[in-house]
Amino acid sequence: MTLLSFVAALVGFVILAPLVGCFIAGVDRILSARLQGRVGPPLLQPYYDVRKLLAKDNAEVNSFQGFYVALSLVLAILSGVFFFAGGNLLLVVFIITLSALFFIVAAYSTRSPYAEIGAEREIVQVMSYEPMVILMTVAFVMVTGSFNVSSVFELARPLIADMPLIFIGLVFILTIKLRKSPFDLSYSHHAHQELVKGISTEMSGKTLAMVEVMHWYETVLFLGWVALFIVWGSWVAALAAVGAVIVVYLLEIFIDNNFARVKWQHMLKWSWIVTFVCVLLNIFLFLWLRQPIV
Amino acid sequence: MATTLIGFLVLFPLLAAALLLVVRGDAARAVVVITAAVLIAAGSILLAVLYLLGSAWQGLVPSELVRTTINYVTLAVDVLIAVYIIAKSIRYKKLLAGVLAFAQLGIIVGFEFTLAHNVTVANDLYIDPLSVIMALIIGIIGTGICIYSLGYMKDHHQHALEHAKVQAADANDNADDKEDDEKPGKSGKLPDRRPVFFALMFLFLSAMYGIVFSNNLSWLLCAWEVTTVCSFALIGYTRTAEAINNSFRQIVMNLAGGLAFAVALAFLAIEGIGELDVVIALGASGSLVVLPIALLAFAGITKAAQVPFQSWLLGAMVAPTPTSALLHSSTMVKAGVFLVIKLAPTFGWNSNGVMVMLIGALTFLFCSAIAVSQSNAKRVLAYSTIANLGLIVACAGVGTPEAVWAAIFLLIFHAAAKSLLFLCVGTAEHHIGSRDIEHMDNLFRRMPTLARLMALGILCMFIAPFGMLISKWATIVSLVHTNNITLLIILAFGSAVTFMFWAKWLGKILAAAQDERDIETTVHRSEWFSLVLMALLVLVLSLGFPFISKFVVVPYLAQVAGIVNPLVNPYWLSVVEVIDFDNLLIMAVIVLAIVLAFAAFFGKSKKRKLPIYLAGVGEDFEKRTFTNSLSKTSEATQRNWYLGGLFGEKALTPMVNTMCIVLLLAGIVMATLNLLWGWSL
Repeated sequence: MTLLSFVAALVGFVILAPLVGCFIAGVDRILSARLQGRVGPPLLQPYYDVRKLLAKDNAEVNSFQGFYVALSLVLAILSGVFFFAGGNLLLVVFIITLSALFFIVAAYSTRSPYAEIGAEREIVQVMSYEPMVILMTVAFVMVTGSFNVSSVFELARPLIADMPLIFIGLVFILTIKLRKSPFDLSYSHHAHQELVKGISTEMSGKTLAMVEVMHWYETVLFLGWVALFIVWGSWVAALAAVGAVIVVYLLEIFIDNNFARVKWQHMLKWSWIVTFVCVLLNIFLFLWLRQPIV
Repeated sequence: MATTLIGFLVLFPLLAAALLLVVRGDAARAVVVITAAVLIAAGSILLAVLYLLGSAWQGLVPSELVRTTINYVTLAVDVLIAVYIIAKSIRYKKLLAGVLAFAQLGIIVGFEFTLAHNVTVANDLYIDPLSVIMALIIGIIGTGICIYSLGYMKDHHQHALEHAKVQAADANDNADDKEDDEKPGKSGKLPDRRPVFFALMFLFLSAMYGIVFSNNLSWLLCAWEVTTVCSFALIGYTRTAEAINNSFRQIVMNLAGGLAFAVALAFLAIEGIGELDVVIALGASGSLVVLPIALLAFAGITKAAQVPFQSWLLGAMVAPTPTSALLHSSTMVKAGVFLVIKLAPTFGWNSNGVMVMLIGALTFLFCSAIAVSQSNAKRVLAYSTIANLGLIVACAGVGTPEAVWAAIFLLIFHAAAKSLLFLCVGTAEHHIGSRDIEHMDNLFRRMPTLARLMALGILCMFIAPFGMLISKWATIVSLVHTNNITLLIILAFGSAVTFMFWAKWLGKILAAAQDERDIETTVHRSEWFSLVLMALLVLVLSLGFPFISKFVVVPYLAQVAGIVNPLVNPYWLSVVEVIDFDNLLIMAVIVLAIVLAFAAFFGKSKKRKLPIYLAGVGEDFEKRTFTNSLSKTSEATQRNWYLGGLFGEKALTPMVNTMCIVLLLAGIVMATLNLLWGWSL
């Protein structure tokens, strides 16, 4: 990661990511509505929502929550910038985890019983997906020999060819990270759930707007992780990556609308089992088929 | 100069300890403790500065007279320790401890009279960047805890007196109360044992300096046993039945480790070896010493409270909090991991290395998981200590320079952050009357400064960009480079559960009710001093990370690489920073940015304040009561999740104990086979 690539990614990601994220969110809402037999909102509805939130009255429950959420947003952006600048993948993972932590602390800081349940569930969600995220990084390094995201362009074939099961594991836990049912325990987009906006219960106005925008940034970053498995050193790769990202997101929308929310026990159990099995099989196969890199 | 300074660091705390035994008044004690602490810290820093500026430190040879004197003194101390333990074990009818002490004494005396003349020791003392780091940890964190104890023990004694009065009243009611001359409260008056407490703390520091600078194995063993006995006495300080039981559990386990050490010493003496660096060099370049190294690793594992020996450290929680802080952060368990890190170049893909790395890794995973189920703050800290030491031990077991780099940083950051956390919990306990995390709800309002310091400590323990996580990052790198997929999977799951137990604790203390109630004003100044010192240390270390790596840790690895045979262990051919300087710098900048952001914006928002939503009209936001739809008062209660069904002690402890006992036995058996018939992995 050079300074130039960092600055380019900084400008590009800060400006483009919310546009793409907002667009994806709009498409998501229309498709979800169609799957449920509704017409759905206009494509730009997520944008209208945020604009309206920004115009709301300046009120809050304490003077700390807004700060935590802002910090969380900044860190999520920073993580995305490091990723798209081709920086260290572990750095990206750790910073996005820090962002998740401050979001949890924001909910706790209100001392609202509803927000606390949401925060507690969010922690369990992090615990469920974190092993897979770390091990995805490990798989990445084992193939490319480097922690730098940019090294993916030097590959002769995409990561997915060597690490297909790891990719499946990643898509599995992305359902949690993208806050999709059946794993949307702490914060949901569906009004029929038993706890809809648990973690954000006490967030309103500008603070809630920041949460929405953060979700856009995060969506782009996570879909970037998907693309990471498809890209290799060829121009065809770009097309393939975009195609794969679209397919994965459509799959997530389909899952979102066809599965009922599960209890946290099931989420934890299944994400850990999927992680363990996928990683173990895939990496042992990989090391067996290939001479170890010393 | 070097020898004098090391002599000062070992002897001066002894002098302070002797003084503290006779000084009675609070004010006089404070003067002695603070003066001694400052001098010891200054001595350690001077040593570090002189060493890092590159003065010649080769050949730390004390004069022949001094050497002979020290040899006799260590023998005398060994005998005294054994006599003390045997006397205690008879007094409290815990014979196992006495038997172990007797066995150990037998070996040591036998060694001195038969094998000792067989051994030639060229360098009794040594100094390298790792011992400098340890000296700084002992000299700054250890003495900081001593200063903290001044205020804490005053409160502690006061609490104990009140407790004793209540007990005395009870005793009058029950005429048939049991006969026990030392039970507090029988006479209505509690003996003030604080002089003993402070003397032990300083004795502990002295012994720790002995451990980190001794190259002569019999000196090392002597200092090693002094720390065991000191923690025995500190754990049993309150003399309740529980404290005595736990102190004996501690001493039995650590004497088993000491016995292994003594056996290793005897084995090595047969070969004419009596120096630690010789053992390491031999171990790193071939065989010969596989069994002694296995035994030394065993000693390190017991002292570092690795599974199956974790129960002694958990039991140590009965002692006053500064004791826990000292045992967990700068002494005792750190001596254990110090020895294991020293032995690291001899580990790797051999029977000892596999034993050590798997025990460490399983300890990390299971103790982190058990910590999720604990609501007692001190137990959470204890399990987290054991888990982090497990990670250090696992890194040492991997034995590559990258893994050792990670291990050393884990050790440094753990020392600073854990002492901060223990001291915070101690102060919180005296003011809110509980060490339960659930009772720390709303600490943010009740003890604002303390809650912030505690939050800093917690952040440093588990999240980027603070120290522990960067060290974990380095661990991942080293494991990837050795294709160690077993440990990588264990580490990934262990890190996930680590997030769980820290995040929920952090959330609890940062929860802010909508009305203020500050009870912080009665915290002693000495406590504030140490708390702020530790917090600053955590920040300075996080910011200085890249530089510590470049100027202290990498040079240490380069020195070690010099003694490793590259044909046996090719990883040591090149020694570089595990995480490149740029990324370390990025992390340091993020730490700085977060700190500045908090300083500039935290809590400064001037927006209109509204009450939180409580399914009715809010009444008391501290208690979270509200008027419900029937005009009655309801209370909203919410506890953190402890997931006892999945992560409970009952389910996990027997499982992990069995695994680690099997690993230990397998390791020792393999090493013995190696000795007898030259078998190896």
